[in-house]
Amino acid sequence: MDSLPYYLQTIINGILAGCIYALFAMGLTLVYGVLNFVNFAHGELIMWGAYFLLLALAEPFALPLYAAVPVALGMTALLGAAMDFAVFRPLRRANRLTLLIAAIGLSFFLRNAAQLFWGAEVRTYGFEIRPGLRWLGVSLTPQQIAIIVISFLCIVGVYLLFFKSRIGKSMRALADNLDLARISGIHTRKAILSAWIISSLLAGTGGILLALDTNLHPEMGVVNLIKAFAATLIGGVGNIWGALIGGLIIGLAENIAVLFISPGYKDAVAFLIMVLILLSRPFIVAGERTD
Amino acid sequence: MKRSVVFLSVFSLLACLAAAPVMAAENIKIGAAFALSGSIAVYGEGFKKCVDLAVDEINAKGGIKGKKIEIVYEDNKSNPKDCVSAVRKLITVDRVPVIFGPAGSSNFMAAAPVAQESRVVMLSAQGTAEKLTQAGKYIFRIIPSNSKQGQRLAKLAFDQGYRRLPVMYINNDWGLDLKDGFVTSFRKMGGVVTDIIPFDEKKTDYRTELLRAAKGNPQAIVNLTYINEGAVQFKQAYELGIKTQWLCGSAARAPKMVELAGKAAEGVMGTYPSVPQDTKAYQTFKTAYQNKYGNDKIPIFGDYNYDMVYLTARAIEKGGYTAEGIRKALPLVSKGYQGVTGDKTFDRQRGMEKADIGIWIVKGGKIEDYKK
Amino acid sequence: MDLLLHLTIVAAIYAIFALSLNLEVGYTGLFNFGHVAFFALGAYTSALLSLGGLSFPLAMSAGIVAAGLGGLIIGIPALKLQGDYFGIATLGFAEIVRMILQNQADWTKGPMGLPGIPRPELFSWQFDTLPAYLALVLGAAAVTFLVIGFLTLSPFGRVLKAIRDDETAAAILGKNPFAYKMKSFVIGSLFAGLAGVLWAHFITFISPGDFTLTETIVVLLIVVLGGKGTLWGPVVGAAVLIFFQESVRLLRLPPEWSGILGPLQQMVFGLLLVILMIFRPEGLIREKGKDTLARD
Repeated sequence: MDSLPYYLQTIINGILAGCIYALFAMGLTLVYGVLNFVNFAHGELIMWGAYFLLLALAEPFALPLYAAVPVALGMTALLGAAMDFAVFRPLRRANRLTLLIAAIGLSFFLRNAAQLFWGAEVRTYGFEIRPGLRWLGVSLTPQQIAIIVISFLCIVGVYLLFFKSRIGKSMRALADNLDLARISGIHTRKAILSAWIISSLLAGTGGILLALDTNLHPEMGVVNLIKAFAATLIGGVGNIWGALIGGLIIGLAENIAVLFISPGYKDAVAFLIMVLILLSRPFIVAGERTD
Repeated sequence: MKRSVVFLSVFSLLACLAAAPVMAAENIKIGAAFALSGSIAVYGEGFKKCVDLAVDEINAKGGIKGKKIEIVYEDNKSNPKDCVSAVRKLITVDRVPVIFGPAGSSNFMAAAPVAQESRVVMLSAQGTAEKLTQAGKYIFRIIPSNSKQGQRLAKLAFDQGYRRLPVMYINNDWGLDLKDGFVTSFRKMGGVVTDIIPFDEKKTDYRTELLRAAKGNPQAIVNLTYINEGAVQFKQAYELGIKTQWLCGSAARAPKMVELAGKAAEGVMGTYPSVPQDTKAYQTFKTAYQNKYGNDKIPIFGDYNYDMVYLTARAIEKGGYTAEGIRKALPLVSKGYQGVTGDKTFDRQRGMEKADIGIWIVKGGKIEDYKK
Repeated sequence: MDLLLHLTIVAAIYAIFALSLNLEVGYTGLFNFGHVAFFALGAYTSALLSLGGLSFPLAMSAGIVAAGLGGLIIGIPALKLQGDYFGIATLGFAEIVRMILQNQADWTKGPMGLPGIPRPELFSWQFDTLPAYLALVLGAAAVTFLVIGFLTLSPFGRVLKAIRDDETAAAILGKNPFAYKMKSFVIGSLFAGLAGVLWAHFITFISPGDFTLTETIVVLLIVVLGGKGTLWGPVVGAAVLIFFQESVRLLRLPPEWSGILGPLQQMVFGLLLVILMIFRPEGLIREKGKDTLARD
């Protein structure tokens, strides 16, 4: 691979990763916006989304892909709703530390549950590998094209839902002021549930796309949580388009950075960006968003 | 609340005490700290099969001086920290005088000081890093080290006509060691190493490393990788359209790797400490394995583990069931001993004196010896 | 009773680790989710210097200082953040430390780790038997307990609690919250470093994989289980958790089950954290003067 295709491929990989991170960020920022806390277990929703698909594709279900994906997504949404019902709803009025610790504990639980069922090894969906389509020396497999397309469809879908539908309006009201929304008769429970379901669907979709591209691993949620959070911070909490931009920036940054530094530091790039952003925004006060 | 705390602590204490070893039966216990779970469990499971096979055979013939061998397995969970704990437990709780050590040179080397310090013999049937036995005189290795392998791999690359190539290697003791061996030899022959790219174990995505290695379209790429990592890499390289001759080391030479990588592994070549498989001893071993397990795909390094059991048994027979006795007897019983993996004479660093390095290639979905 | 000694040593080391985290989380209200980084700094510094031939007292001091310095460097920018953001920043920082340890193999031998770390030698006493090491660790734990106890029971400790409960009010009353948080954070880091040093010289092998988010979760569990904001909480929590964790390992299950046992045990930890937070967030030992359920 000579130089130009090499750099082009890097950029393509960056965009690819960025689309997936955008999905993660959107899911995270949705719950953050509506319920005002960082769901530390969001990474596990991503991971379980991917594993649910593995489950649906394997014996004894052995569903064909077009049926397996909705099933997997449905189960992810169920998991998200269950998480809220069992853990976060009882803690709705608890202090922040309690919430955070509960979320961390939940994440730990889910991570090890996956390892229990599927082992710690890298797993794969087992689809046929195909050489990518070549264009200007750059390779793009049909799967990867699908990833980009699906990501954009999701983003557009979420935008329409959030800004053009009634349930979206309720969610936005909650995001602005939870108590006021309650008083003004908005169906908070329904809105909260919707937020969780959409967040889970986004996480699950992103997880499946990621796993299609790079296989499955029980730890795949943790590092992607941080990247999702970094993307959220770049774009602004609660900002859907911001999540997209943030995701793309992270994806491109980490792929381009490793042209110059050791590939072992690839994940560190997102961490570093996140830490730098946090440190340059001193006006974040008392856990409240001031953006 | 305080009461339940006390109760919990006492209960846990009692549980610990209750688990203290029962009076040892009349068995000869040998410890084995294998990877039975975790990312390299694929190796550990294979070893266990071959060790069990050997033990069954020896016990069927009456054991060692009438006593049966019993292997105490401890799971090392594929990571060095648990290797240390597993070996510690075998030494302090089970009180074995000899241990079959874990796969993975780094894992083994993490636990070796523990065995050495406690004066317990530990053997490796698959660690090929040069410094493996450096921890002390209780540490033995019955597989040839990387030093010859690096040279042979360089010669292979040179003979095939490659003069400039990049080297990818897995970032652990085995990879680092073999990389150094290869790079030194290749440069001495006049070859040029264009890039040296370490990569982490257990990652799901190696495209960054692959792209860097494939920069400039090299005719060949040296990839010192393991089973799972190699499979992911070859598949991703295939998708990226990277066409090159892959040159690997011994760790990827496994049916499992080919199974995982599918057609992406076709044509991959590498070196390995070779074992002529057409000897009578090997065929007998293969048949016995087939009879016990139903297929004749000998797991990677399984044959070395098989020899390790027999060597240890002979050492116990000659030197007695103590660590000191085994340590002294091993070089004596190994001299000229022909196991299924060839001559097992120890050299002065308690590694293998004889090292034949062969070349393997994946052809038609199978691993074969490469004949020019 | 080698095993009992081994367990007590590990429990004592974790007690030190937990006491240090408790100072930050329990008393000062700092969501430090990256505490394991300071543990790692202490462990690696001391291990590398010892392997390089430096005497134990010097290596240990260097380890502690390194951890404290880390706390200082991170604290200055990070303590300006509040709540969740501080938590995530510290988490990110801990992961960055781990990645540096993993990738800078020429300094740290990377993923291969550092085997053969020498056992301590103080005043020409070799601490290489278990009872000797236990004495060393218990001594260190006692010192930690006394120092942190002194700090928390003093006016300094009261200010910390005031900052935890209502930072604005504390500021109005003339206290500089940033300075106090900084002191708490650095002291916590120093003792975490001490725990790390003791750990490295006990296990005699460390690698970057020993210092992950999992360790942070374990020590967090110890702190909240035992009771944050109390002195005996971390000690009790460490004893209970370590004995539980290790006694499970001793059950003579067939080796094939060990693949399940590991994750199962971790699942129990995670579940325990969740259940604790929902039903008894104050832990086993309740802080004096606090309501049963910590609410805003």
